[in-house]
Amino acid sequence: MLDIFLIGVGGQGLLTIGEVIADAAVALDLPVCFYPYKGMAQRGGLVKAQLRLGRSAVGPNIPPRGANLVIAMEVSEALRAIRALRPGGEFLLFGERWLPTAVMLGKAAYPALETVLEQVRAAGGHPVYLSPDSLPAGLPANLFVLGAAVGRTRLGNVLPAAAVEEAIRRRWPRDPERNLTAFRAGHSISI
Amino acid sequence: MPSRTLLTGNEALALGALHAGARVITGYPGTPSTGAIESLLAAAPPGVHVEWSTNEKVALEIAAGAAWAGQRALCTMKMSGLNVASDSLYSVAYSGVIGGLVVYVADDPGVSAGMCEQDSRGFALLADLPLLDPSSVAEAYQFVRLAFDLSEAVGTPVMVRLVTAIAHASAPVEVGEPAPFLEREPQLLRDIARFTKAGAAICMQQHRDLIARLEKAGEWIRQAGLNSLQITAAAGGIRHPKLGIIAGGVVSAYLEEGLEMAARFSLDPRSVSTLRVRAPHPFPSEEVRALLRHVDAVVVLEELEPHLERGVYVEAHRLGFTGRIVGKLDGTLERVGEYDVRHVVRGIAAALDLPVPPDLFAATTEAERLAAPRPITVCPGCPHRGTFLAINRAIRRAGYKRDQVMVTGDIGCTILGMNPPFDTVWNEVAMGASIGLAQGYVHAGVRTPVIATIGDSTFFHAGIPALINAVQHAVPLTVIIMDNGWTAMTGMQVNPGTAEDFQPPGGRRVDIAQLVPALGVEHFFVVDPFDLDGTTAVIQQALALPGVKVILSRQECAIQAQRRGRRAGVVRVVPENCNLCKLCITLTGCPAIDLGAEAVVIDPALCYGCGLCAQVCNRGALIHTSVAQAARPVAG
Repeated sequence: MLDIFLIGVGGQGLLTIGEVIADAAVALDLPVCFYPYKGMAQRGGLVKAQLRLGRSAVGPNIPPRGANLVIAMEVSEALRAIRALRPGGEFLLFGERWLPTAVMLGKAAYPALETVLEQVRAAGGHPVYLSPDSLPAGLPANLFVLGAAVGRTRLGNVLPAAAVEEAIRRRWPRDPERNLTAFRAGHSISI
Repeated sequence: MPSRTLLTGNEALALGALHAGARVITGYPGTPSTGAIESLLAAAPPGVHVEWSTNEKVALEIAAGAAWAGQRALCTMKMSGLNVASDSLYSVAYSGVIGGLVVYVADDPGVSAGMCEQDSRGFALLADLPLLDPSSVAEAYQFVRLAFDLSEAVGTPVMVRLVTAIAHASAPVEVGEPAPFLEREPQLLRDIARFTKAGAAICMQQHRDLIARLEKAGEWIRQAGLNSLQITAAAGGIRHPKLGIIAGGVVSAYLEEGLEMAARFSLDPRSVSTLRVRAPHPFPSEEVRALLRHVDAVVVLEELEPHLERGVYVEAHRLGFTGRIVGKLDGTLERVGEYDVRHVVRGIAAALDLPVPPDLFAATTEAERLAAPRPITVCPGCPHRGTFLAINRAIRRAGYKRDQVMVTGDIGCTILGMNPPFDTVWNEVAMGASIGLAQGYVHAGVRTPVIATIGDSTFFHAGIPALINAVQHAVPLTVIIMDNGWTAMTGMQVNPGTAEDFQPPGGRRVDIAQLVPALGVEHFFVVDPFDLDGTTAVIQQALALPGVKVILSRQECAIQAQRRGRRAGVVRVVPENCNLCKLCITLTGCPAIDLGAEAVVIDPALCYGCGLCAQVCNRGALIHTSVAQAARPVAG
């Protein structure tokens, strides 16, 4: 059983990752429940989602300290997912920064990357850091992060990369190559 | 052949209605219910009428009319919409239906969409209507089909309630065979005693019939086994008394996980009997009594109001049950927010005095406090940005301080004016409420100008009667209709004011610019919110005029326009003029403007070219060229 908490900001394609994982799980006949939080979703606003894999009778919400894996795509928002992390769980952090206006104006502080990683460790989690610099130019970050999640976290024990690639082909039937390339780049990266 | 498909709860519900033979499907957008009709409009099923109606009351009346003519009909809404539809719903409930009528309402425990945590099960109680409360996405598909059968078997409208965690969640669904297409000839049944409320005798007879139908529905639900009771054979004992758990709707999906977890704290799961309630109204008295007869203590788990729990107390009283009843009324569990496995474990622990460590789920919130605040604001290119800036400027130029002028707010994207950097809007109540609220402030004796803001869809939905009221009573008031041409916040639905090209085939656009003067409004202005000076001047002028003033601030939603490849213009930075004063960011809060090392930077992927930043810059550091100008050949 794998409970995954995803967090980021609108426009990063975070919910798409969740949908691809859910689709791959269904194809493998693995029970899945995907619960996105859309709220008043818009570009740059908070987005989060919960994925529960492997339990057939399951409610959509993961309890606090219940997620074995967190996938965070924005440095500051990652802090809001730490309460979801189970001690001993993995925390994949893609280090992109989307500065809110108040931060740009110098009216609010933005957390340092090291602060976030310290908080993950303090919650008993294992940080897996993915630098935005490692994203090959022109490729979508979300599929890159998904690749790293499959290649470098326990998600790969549940979903083989081939199953995710199939789900990517189903999602973008006409032109899967760019997304597959991003996924493979993330999957083969050494962290 | 049945197939297993990944669907959202909304999609599952819509597909279930289609497979049940629904012929008329109506609704009004409202998160979290919107996805149901969205999926049907995308599928465009032949022979089925699907529409976004003007409001939920209209939607329900259309669906009821179809059901009275013998067809199967579905009506969808969020819980706030049920309030609007309820006047007709109670009355239709008295008459009953001929064809099946299912009312889908989505509740939002945990408030993902910013409205009341209203528990629609209470509406079923008020209206004496059966209500089904599926516990999973898969059940959303099955139950809506059952709801149509129940509706026709008993002759009553049936409510189906989903919570956000089911409506928005995706899970595999066993999709069955569609019912053979119901080729029904519409019927015209004249029955005054049934379809009017003419006289006490008629109404009271309808009331008796309604109660009888509800009882019959209860029997149907019992036979169908929608509320599943599992009594365990294992004996309890003094150390571990026999425990009963009653779980409503989505909460029963957490039972298995909760029992596993409680087993780690010496619970013997074999001593637990369960009742999963997926049809809470009418109250499943027989099943509850059967459970109470068997157990020593009972835990009632349900989100929001203690509907089931109160019923359990009644049955406990009738049976002389003296065991413990754990739930909300004894203070163990809360009436606010979504439930998860925590609530199951907490309930069991309270009932059996299990040694569950208090910090089992206690997560630290220290990390969250270090996160940068991220208030939501309007999108890049949003026309409302110009309207909010103009309102703020007009108030100051008219000689008032911002805290002297009430600006009432409404539902939808226009409410984002409550947030920085605008801080324009003061309040938010319901669809169309801004215009009524504003009149109250005037009658209360407020002597400074009062402004009401409202979006286009909201104006059509419930704003028009309030505006008529203001005209009739000559209330000095400035109404600003922020018309972006779409029902935007729920994800771009077509409304009566949307451009003709997007209206249903043969349908017509209703133009607010023609409607408002027809209502008797003497001072009516149409402005372009991307023209900051022009819009400011008109608002300032309106504030000084007597009577009802209406300003239509009109410019299409930038998200929609961009999807069709449109842009308002281009903004260019003149770096040598920029001193990084940040005025453009401070005033507009536009996400397309970023800080560079020596000058601001415009993100071309985000910028719509509205030019508002150029209009607030006082150093000529931002140059805006509108699309019309850019298209003109450069002279010389």
